[in-house]
Amino acid sequence: MFNRELVKGSTSLLVLQLLTERDMYGYELVKEMDNRSDHNFQIKEGTLYPALHKLEKQEYIECYWEKQTKGPARKYYRITTEGQSILDEKTSEWYRYVQVMNSLIRRNES
Amino acid sequence: MNAEQHFLEQLDQSLGPFPNKQEIISEYEIHLYEIFNEIEIQDETEAYETIEKRLGTPKEIAKMWMQEVRITPKKTQWIFVTFNLCLFVGGGLLTVGYNLFDWNWIDFTWRQLTAIPSIIIMLYLVFWGLLGYEIGKEFGHRGRKLLRNTFLICIAPNVLLANVTVFQLIPSQWFQPLLSVPFILVCIGFTALLYPISWMGYQWGKKASV
Repeated sequence: MFNRELVKGSTSLLVLQLLTERDMYGYELVKEMDNRSDHNFQIKEGTLYPALHKLEKQEYIECYWEKQTKGPARKYYRITTEGQSILDEKTSEWYRYVQVMNSLIRRNES
Repeated sequence: MNAEQHFLEQLDQSLGPFPNKQEIISEYEIHLYEIFNEIEIQDETEAYETIEKRLGTPKEIAKMWMQEVRITPKKTQWIFVTFNLCLFVGGGLLTVGYNLFDWNWIDFTWRQLTAIPSIIIMLYLVFWGLLGYEIGKEFGHRGRKLLRNTFLICIAPNVLLANVTVFQLIPSQWFQPLLSVPFILVCIGFTALLYPISWMGYQWGKKASV
């Protein structure tokens, strides 16, 4: 488990990343984050929806409802072109940050 | 009442009069449906505890939503428009006061401020940069229209002041020693820079929006 603030700050980025693969609904996003992180990245599931709402308000994602043969209709989210563009920007920033942090930490270790 | 219904009712109450409340609650309802489709819990107390453990308490969730809708485009726009208007009204009152009344404190304030026009211009440019930054950070891509509209409303007092000064609708000697040709040119130049500065602030804020 990671620091709560760190997780909170990375949730939107991860949501955008997951949505580049396919359109997903809220519960599916939570499951994917949990599975892919080997249960290390656990968010309070209730907090996902305000984050999705914010991304939608910013026009980085959009949503649509889809009826299910069994159970209630699901609200699917998909990434927009602008969402993809901000994701690319933030991802490269993240990689640069990790690279610098790694080199700094290694320097301190040696 | 089962655990799911109880949770949703609590959430409904915690949200109070909230925009699109029914849509928000339906999303949580679907989420709970998915959870209990995967795991089976017979005991209602245990089920409610599981919901709170996974989703958070209704109050925590409501708090997140309140934070999310606290800043609206309209509110942001009017904060900046009002602030800009206050600057103009404040400056106007100070000018009128300085020229019509013989008050020491107004003389002192006027002299202090007219001695540092470049600092005032810089601070004013920061204000426009901040306007763009805040809009970009909060509203991301959608903020571009808001920025344009807020800019157009905010710039109105600037244009008005420029016109009444140039066409001498107010006595030009009121603005002495500021109203020199170089100063007017500097003001025109910086006014032209206001939108590019707001736009740069917006782009910078957009980067911080995710």
